[in-house]
Amino acid sequence: MKTSFVIVLLTLLFLWYLSFSATRLDRLHLRVETSWANLDGLLQRRAAVALELAHSEMADPASSLLLTAAAYQAREAQISVRSLAESGLSGALGLLQNDLGQEIHPAEAALLKELSDLTEKIRVAIAFHVDAVSRTRLVRQKLIFKLFRLAGRAPLPVTYEFEDDVL
Amino acid sequence: MPSKVMKIGIVCPYGWDAPGGVQAHIRDLSEYLINAGHVVSVLAPAVDEELLPSYVVSAGKPIAIPYNGAVARILFGPIAFARVRQWISQGDFDVLHLHEPAIPSLSLLACWAAEGPMVGTFHAASKKQKAIYAIGPILEPVIEKLSARIAVSEAARSTLTDHLETDAIVIPNGIYASKFAAGKQKEEWGGNSLGFIGRFDEPRKGLSVLLDALAQVAKSIPDLRVLVAGPGDSEEVLEGIDLQLRKRITFLGRLSEEEKADFLSSVAIYVAPNTGGESFGIILAEAMAAGTACVASDIPAFVSLLGDGRWGALFTSEDSADLALSLITLLQDDEVRLNLAQAGQIHAEVFDWDNVASQIISVYEMATVGGRRVRLASDSRPWNRFISREAK
Repeated sequence: MKTSFVIVLLTLLFLWYLSFSATRLDRLHLRVETSWANLDGLLQRRAAVALELAHSEMADPASSLLLTAAAYQAREAQISVRSLAESGLSGALGLLQNDLGQEIHPAEAALLKELSDLTEKIRVAIAFHVDAVSRTRLVRQKLIFKLFRLAGRAPLPVTYEFEDDVL
Repeated sequence: MPSKVMKIGIVCPYGWDAPGGVQAHIRDLSEYLINAGHVVSVLAPAVDEELLPSYVVSAGKPIAIPYNGAVARILFGPIAFARVRQWISQGDFDVLHLHEPAIPSLSLLACWAAEGPMVGTFHAASKKQKAIYAIGPILEPVIEKLSARIAVSEAARSTLTDHLETDAIVIPNGIYASKFAAGKQKEEWGGNSLGFIGRFDEPRKGLSVLLDALAQVAKSIPDLRVLVAGPGDSEEVLEGIDLQLRKRITFLGRLSEEEKADFLSSVAIYVAPNTGGESFGIILAEAMAAGTACVASDIPAFVSLLGDGRWGALFTSEDSADLALSLITLLQDDEVRLNLAQAGQIHAEVFDWDNVASQIISVYEMATVGGRRVRLASDSRPWNRFISREAK
């Protein structure tokens, strides 16, 4: 009688733990989604600013062409090559910002200000996203999560390779 | 006005009535956010509910517990947990900002109870905390609910990576830089004076390191004075100090906020000889903002705050001779001292609330992308929905 009671109790406890773990993982997946949505939005905005800069009078024809191409590439890239495309855009923007010689039109100064604000935010957003992804992958590697397939059909989040210094 | 008004819930783990860096930070941040048009509610332990500002909600009386080398006034238990849950469900917040969620107090309870956009700020920096290691596995699922982590310094950040294997972005503590820049230079505190503020009878504040350096400095600087502000027992500190040196030391007692700004602006050098246990060093930021040259021990928090010596001089911690050397150099050469002070004052803008709060707000915005709100975690579990007494 007593043993069966203990067994029932242990089973219930274990089931509770499974459900707790599943909720935990679900929450982590949600965190990855949120941080990615945030990062994606910021990157899209950066590409838009880059296009505007490319069409402004500040850019000479060559860098304008370079910038436009890089911005379109970044916008249309698949997630697996996204970081590469974004690094390309960072590089093109860096080139433009490096040879700012003459005086800058107020409208373009505003664009540049927006760009530097965005860059700052993107840096933070990347840190959050990388943390969320690595935490999720870490948890999914644990035995109990694998054994009971607690991740369900949710895809393994992709690590987003970013080189901090290109930003 | 902000682009989007947010409803922000902030949880303070320590007793609101007791003085402390975390409480001061939360008070300043809340007032800044309210002035910027946001809606803020702070949940904190408090002894006297009558004295609380309108934006603070009491969660009950704190319990004093020795923790991490000091007495922490914290609060936990079933009643506190019920209060936290009630506050969260009534608050309908866009984002929760939990301070020190790794400490067994209200923030941890809130992190346990809530679900949705949550930001955690980690203040403490300490080398080893066995207790944290031990409860790490329990803490892990709770802490990982935070959508964003903030550390107040590089030192706090490395504590976090060591103990909880999670990274954080660094956003410093805030000060009102203009208030300190406007400090008046008073003659009574001027001249070749060294300033020190803090509970000087605590050994980790390092006043004895400074006093041991005096004899050596006084040989080169005849009119040297030391001004010590803050609460404590001065008789005890003066014991064993040469009578000749004693008259150079003045104890001013506790200073008001305005007096502090004047004090920092007046002294020739502000000295922070702390031997450890410091995670940020807000007083150094304030002294820099006041346009005063700083000399500090090379503990990790101060090294990063002073940019490896770019914005203030560093000496080997607990080494009085090194401190003396550094003080003599700065006091004898006005140009070097003034240049250092100027570099510090320019850098201190980084710590201004305008700058710090906008970074924090942008973290809030990132955490709230997707438009979910803060709710009780238990609401979303099926069996609780089934049996919960709070079901509508």
